[in-house]
Amino acid sequence: MDQNTMTTEEFWNPEHIVEKFWNGLKEGKILARKCPECGAIEFPPHLACNSCGYIETEWTQMSGKAMLKSFVFTGVLNARLELEDRGLKYVCGEVEFEEGVSINAVILGINKKKGREIQDKLPLPVHPVFYDMGRYTTLFFELDEN
Amino acid sequence: MVENVKLGKNMRSVSIVGIGATPFMNLIKNETYHGLTNGELFGRAALDAMRDANVQPRDVQYFFHGSANPHVLNNCITPNVQVADWFGMRGKGSLSHSEGCCTGYIALEEAVFAVASGAYDIVLTGACDCGTGMPDGNTPDHMRVELSTEVLFPDLDSIFDRAYGRYLGGGPGMNHDDWINLYAHENHLTPEQVDDVLNHQSYHMRRAGALNPRAIRRQTFDEMAKEAGYDDVWEYMKSPYNPKMTQYLRTSSDSCVADGAATCIVVPTEIAHKFTDKPIEVLAIGASVLDAIVPHLEKKATAIAAKQVYDATGLTPDDIDLVMVNDFIGSSAFLAAEEIGYLPKGEGWKYVLEGRTAFDGDKPINPNGGRTSYGHAFGASGLADVFEAVTQMRGEAGSRQVKKLPKYTFLRGFGGAQNVRAIILKAGF
Repeated sequence: MDQNTMTTEEFWNPEHIVEKFWNGLKEGKILARKCPECGAIEFPPHLACNSCGYIETEWTQMSGKAMLKSFVFTGVLNARLELEDRGLKYVCGEVEFEEGVSINAVILGINKKKGREIQDKLPLPVHPVFYDMGRYTTLFFELDEN
Repeated sequence: MVENVKLGKNMRSVSIVGIGATPFMNLIKNETYHGLTNGELFGRAALDAMRDANVQPRDVQYFFHGSANPHVLNNCITPNVQVADWFGMRGKGSLSHSEGCCTGYIALEEAVFAVASGAYDIVLTGACDCGTGMPDGNTPDHMRVELSTEVLFPDLDSIFDRAYGRYLGGGPGMNHDDWINLYAHENHLTPEQVDDVLNHQSYHMRRAGALNPRAIRRQTFDEMAKEAGYDDVWEYMKSPYNPKMTQYLRTSSDSCVADGAATCIVVPTEIAHKFTDKPIEVLAIGASVLDAIVPHLEKKATAIAAKQVYDATGLTPDDIDLVMVNDFIGSSAFLAAEEIGYLPKGEGWKYVLEGRTAFDGDKPINPNGGRTSYGHAFGASGLADVFEAVTQMRGEAGSRQVKKLPKYTFLRGFGGAQNVRAIILKAGF
């Protein structure tokens, strides 16, 4: 079909990647993209592959199984106010999914005492927490032993 | 990620022939400076660089204006347009850019590209931020008020990815302590040892800052301890007078927000001696950018950019005489110096404790006092580091002059969650 005779929406109608990801979290699904060339997981989902530089990726779903590899507590300078306002105990740390990709994430339920207990036992398994922030649902984690 | 960038050779070599910098100051609280404006700060720094390069405004062909956050801090989005008339460059070409706290390093990169390409021969690049305040409503620029937390805190998150990372939340919370936390575990350092290292580093940075008339914090920690009734400065450094702001960083390892501008003038190296007896050649600039969602991003990006610039120049860490690090996260100073090979792997913390990274040590880092003492005027900080590097390489730093006149200086730019640049300068005389 001649593009010049199409409506703009017929001609260019891309999938909404970010919207689909956040809607997935509302349904308890962790959506990602997978590179058809190298097989690497692109998380959070983007258009191209950041692992090998291939030009496209396709949808996949993460298992949610992950390991906490390191973490830090926040202080007055770097506290996450949206979490403090909700009275949550949390740390920020590196979480590696079983699919091989790592992100900096929020891990709930770890206070100073717990932090000291687990510090030398890392990595430890964590699971996803789909947390309702009001206007959107986000992805946090929690230690499996909790 | 794909790490396959190999820097090519510039079409022609570029050198710095003029530098200018205002002090880093607090325009809100300092009665002498209160009322000075963005155009005046940038303009005075620009004219100082022109005087230093023995040129007039009519000679400069193009300029770059960097600012970390011109909208919130200055209520404008095209500061290049608004400052050009202040230093005689009305009608000349110019460009505004903004890369957070890395702006001043990228300012040099942009200017080098402009001259290396052959498009221009004499280019001014500068950066200015007034970080302590904000416009007092809809009023002329001399009317500023202290930046309120209601404005500042929500805006701080604007450097983090709005599609994902900001709302997944981990990256912003890891921003300050991720690298020092990793380093402590890799090198089996206790929290107390990390505290000692960071306190020693801050202490020596302040010794340098105390000798620098452009630094915003010039009172030594020895003097501050004495005033507070402590005989032992190290006891003071661990006291409530110096509280923890994050898991690892005390106030003394946090940047001091400031107002200020810094500039430099670059020309083709082949004509540099027409402008100065002491040109400083920009050998190469490596670059890497990683968003805050990536674990250990500062370490990774620093390593990538450093490899690019070492490969391009053929130099090794042993060639480097001086390192400048944008250390608004205080721990970055020695961590970055170690990552680029200036300090031995796993040993950098010992060098800090022994005072060897101080301005008068054998491995100097940030002899201007760094962000914790020189101050942090966001976008302008990088060019303030270029100003210090050139000053040290010329041997003009007075009482804070490093022991060995630097032939090669390595600058590690960082900021905007996070852009990284690795720059090597060579004394061309």
